[in-house]
Amino acid sequence: MLKINKISIINQREKKLFTYFGIVVLVLFVGATYLTKFNPLEVLLNSNEVWKFIIKDFLPPTLTKPVGIFDAIFITICLAISSTFIAGIFAIITAMFGSEYISPFPKVSKIIRGVATFLRNIPPLVWAFILFSSLGIGTGVGFVALVISTFAFMTRAFIESIDEVSKDSTEGLLVVGATFSQRVFQGIIPSCMQDFISWFLYCIEVNIRASTIVGMVGGGGIGLVLFSYLKSFKYQTAAGIILIISATIIGVDLLTGFLRKKVMENE
Amino acid sequence: MDNTILKAKNITKTYPNGVKALDDISFEIKKGEFIVVIGPSGSGKSTLLRSLNKLIDLTSGSVTIDGEEILNKKGKNLRLLRRKMAMIFQHYNLVYRLSVMQNVLHGRLGYMTNINGVFGNYSEEDKLKAIELLNEIELGDHIYNRAGDLSGGQKQRVGIARAIMQDPQIILCDEPIASLDPSSSKIIMDIIFNMAKKRGITCIVNLHQIDVAIKYATRIIGLSKGKIVFNDVAENLDNKTIETIYNTSIDNLMINGALKTM
Repeated sequence: MLKINKISIINQREKKLFTYFGIVVLVLFVGATYLTKFNPLEVLLNSNEVWKFIIKDFLPPTLTKPVGIFDAIFITICLAISSTFIAGIFAIITAMFGSEYISPFPKVSKIIRGVATFLRNIPPLVWAFILFSSLGIGTGVGFVALVISTFAFMTRAFIESIDEVSKDSTEGLLVVGATFSQRVFQGIIPSCMQDFISWFLYCIEVNIRASTIVGMVGGGGIGLVLFSYLKSFKYQTAAGIILIISATIIGVDLLTGFLRKKVMENE
Repeated sequence: MDNTILKAKNITKTYPNGVKALDDISFEIKKGEFIVVIGPSGSGKSTLLRSLNKLIDLTSGSVTIDGEEILNKKGKNLRLLRRKMAMIFQHYNLVYRLSVMQNVLHGRLGYMTNINGVFGNYSEEDKLKAIELLNEIELGDHIYNRAGDLSGGQKQRVGIARAIMQDPQIILCDEPIASLDPSSSKIIMDIIFNMAKKRGITCIVNLHQIDVAIKYATRIIGLSKGKIVFNDVAENLDNKTIETIYNTSIDNLMINGALKTM
């Protein structure tokens, strides 16, 4: 009887690599679970504890003093928007020097790129801790933490946009004898403006959430309010606040999503 | 009186990976000529053209434009000298989000102050010139259209208009018709040829198509593996030279039109 082999649809070597990779991941997972004594099934096994807490303590959500809470939400939103704005301005300028095609100092561009990539991997929460420990807590410091993390992300995003979109047009402006600023304002900015605005809106969306978290550890705003209610065991009010936070975030998400679509549509 | 507009002497370009794109090339170009450079991909055509306006840095050699050496120029001096050499690209290199008019006016940026250029403060005179030019190449109905909305042939016409706006002495064309259909190709080559002739502009054009080269060139330069293997009037381009340039028998080449056989 003939043994017919199934025909492969990918490179044999790739197939082997994928299999080895899969095995390594599995081994790492099992090993990590064992070593940290964390059982991923624990959450499921003990879920009735979680439900008891939610039903008994969290629900029904109440809000006894809504006025102060709306002030706090306002602060959080302002933190998010203003930090994105400031970060954006710095990021656009830095990105001009970070893109090797347009930068007047191409050698420096690699360094800028590297630093931005490194910095953007540090979450805003970590920046918050670093800055709060050294400068003390407060809305201003929280603002700085958000600016730094947003700046790093936006710089990298902008550099990629610039590289992708304006390589050809920059060459065109180079040969007519345009100066660096002319190349930027007559070439890069018109070509990349849509992308910049889209990234900007995306960062506002991300920063609403980040702002809440940074707020929790000392930045102020609704995050701090929530945290203090949790700490004082006023769970029902906390639940109410959580709902408001969720509503705000969903609202901002929808708004920025809509605006981003409009911006990209305007081709 | 010396009519030489461009002189390349012993130019060599070796890439970091060891590839010698240009190997000790020398040639002279006189004012008003229409030079076509032919050669297979990798022969150094694009490197040669881009080294003439210092888009690519040469390893050694000298390039003089109208008597002025360009290779040691930087910053403002480089920009001033680059004004004399316009360039037309295979992929047009326009700013697609801006209007046709704005793209054509970019040709004047080399003559404007930094601030005026940044804010697009072009003189009314320049704007009139641009409109005249666009009408001449039959894009008069499209001056406010976004450059990105045009067809390939139209985009290249915008590129040509931008080049002419520079008042250049030389126009470099890097495979201007490689992305165009046969009809647009003829229109573009005719426009480049006639505009240059009318204004006394010297042209250096990279082409793949030998028949087009023969049709328009006053002189043809054939490149092979970084060296010049032919530098003569079009009539003297024979099958044997073509075979040397492309390193293969004439039967393996897709050439249209009649060629002189020797």
